[in-house]
Amino acid sequence: MHIIEINQLTKYYGKSRGIVDVSFNVEEGEIFGFIGPNGAGKSTTIRTLLALIYPTSGSAKIFGKDCIQYGPEIRREIGYLPSEVFYYDNMKVLDVLKYSASFYNKDCKERLYELADIMDLDLNRKVNDLSYGNKKKVGIVQGLLHSPKLIILDEPTSGLDPLMQQKFFDLIHEENKKGATILFSSHILNEVQKLCHRVAIIKEGKIIKVEDIETLKQSNYKKFRIDMTDTITDTYFDVEGVTNLSIHDQHVTFLFSGDINVIISQLSQKRLKNLIVEEPTLDEIFMHYYVKEA
Amino acid sequence: MNIVLRELRANMKALIIWCVMQVFLIYVGMLKYAGMAEAGNSVNDLLAGLPEIFKTMFGLSTFDLTHVGGYYGVFFLYFILLGSIHAVMLGAVIISKEERDKTADFLLTKPVSRVRIITSKLVAALINIVAFNLTTLIASIIIVDMYNQGQSITGDIIKLMIALFIIQLIFLSVGVGTAVMTRNTKKATSVSTAVLLITFILSMAIDMYSKIENLKYLTPFKYFEARQLMFGGQFEAVFIVLSALIVIVLVTVTYIFYKKRDMQV
Repeated sequence: MHIIEINQLTKYYGKSRGIVDVSFNVEEGEIFGFIGPNGAGKSTTIRTLLALIYPTSGSAKIFGKDCIQYGPEIRREIGYLPSEVFYYDNMKVLDVLKYSASFYNKDCKERLYELADIMDLDLNRKVNDLSYGNKKKVGIVQGLLHSPKLIILDEPTSGLDPLMQQKFFDLIHEENKKGATILFSSHILNEVQKLCHRVAIIKEGKIIKVEDIETLKQSNYKKFRIDMTDTITDTYFDVEGVTNLSIHDQHVTFLFSGDINVIISQLSQKRLKNLIVEEPTLDEIFMHYYVKEA
Repeated sequence: MNIVLRELRANMKALIIWCVMQVFLIYVGMLKYAGMAEAGNSVNDLLAGLPEIFKTMFGLSTFDLTHVGGYYGVFFLYFILLGSIHAVMLGAVIISKEERDKTADFLLTKPVSRVRIITSKLVAALINIVAFNLTTLIASIIIVDMYNQGQSITGDIIKLMIALFIIQLIFLSVGVGTAVMTRNTKKATSVSTAVLLITFILSMAIDMYSKIENLKYLTPFKYFEARQLMFGGQFEAVFIVLSALIVIVLVTVTYIFYKKRDMQV
């Protein structure tokens, strides 16, 4: 069964674009990455799924039911972590979490304390005394305490330190093993690659691609930046796998995907002043997708 | 139920302050009455000498201030002003604060319908204005009784508090109505208090110029006046119907708008 089924979903805010014709499905039990730069429409899609905003056209189903019409019923089994976390400032963390738990017809107390313990969250502090990262932790506990079947995470890792990110990823893996489906939005390719089974790429409100993470990994791009000792012609880099080549005198940059040894042996024939190999930014990857499609 | 409790707790402090203020106002007011009653008719003579506009502004035009009922009638004007300010602010804020504090993404992603959210918030607001009203009622009965040497006016006080309650209801619905239509707390509170002040000033203008008497249907402050309700007077059916209509229309609008709107981040 499709846990999420999005069908030509379109949302305009007045005249400005939110998302256009977004369609994809999320299957039961998978961790689905939703990736794109800021302002691409990730949050718009997610907030429509949660009926916080209404679609201009198109529709979406969760658990096979229309997400607007059956909103309250569907949301019993959804845990949601918003990208920006805000909670009632004057309340203690424990009270916020208890308030959150009071909406579900089950006893979430044990899980609440368990999660707070894992995330190392002080329950007795007031929300407005918390740092951004700690608020994020409140959000995580709040989103998971009722053991939902579908977990929707909107850029969950921003503000968390690496140790906490790791604990959080473990937690997500564990929930997934217990059967939860996860929709994970992010603008960091790396973290999506680590966690997700499949990924949808969105840019400027449109889905560019829905792809298996394995396929994405195979087209694993590296960005090369090289300072040569001599000027060089662009035919020298006429190697399979080189894209986005630019040469300014002795300074060369390009993206490379394929067998790393091929390009290294090619480079070893020249004297280099400097060589930097790095992960391309998301934008560069997206650039590539555009080039590929054109 | 959980939303109602949450709202009651969130508004508890403000409510207590309002109620204490109200009791204090009544106490100080009646203390002043004791002085006036002793001075006797000279007070009325003094007031008679004041310009009409001045008297209208302070609600002094028609009452015998040396009589406890007359004095309380003047007081009532301040109660409805305070009661309506309390109600209008409460209504405007209770709805719009979720978006102001950006907690809408929390509350609305819980398994509750928007209708239930509005209903819960209205119930909580209703409990607040009832508490305000009952405090005013009980404090009035007790404190007036302390200074009253003549006949009891408890019956009149109860009648006035019913009028106060209807006006509170009207302004609560004005508050929630503007909150869903204006989409943010600042605008909601300023628009709804503007409505309140304009209708209040209009009610005073009507007192001063009898020519515009027909405008009285536009301002809730003219619907139930102490001088008409006290001393054996009655509620006018037309104004009760009008009040009910205003409340029903605004509350319906609140539900419809809130159900349809996009929550802002």
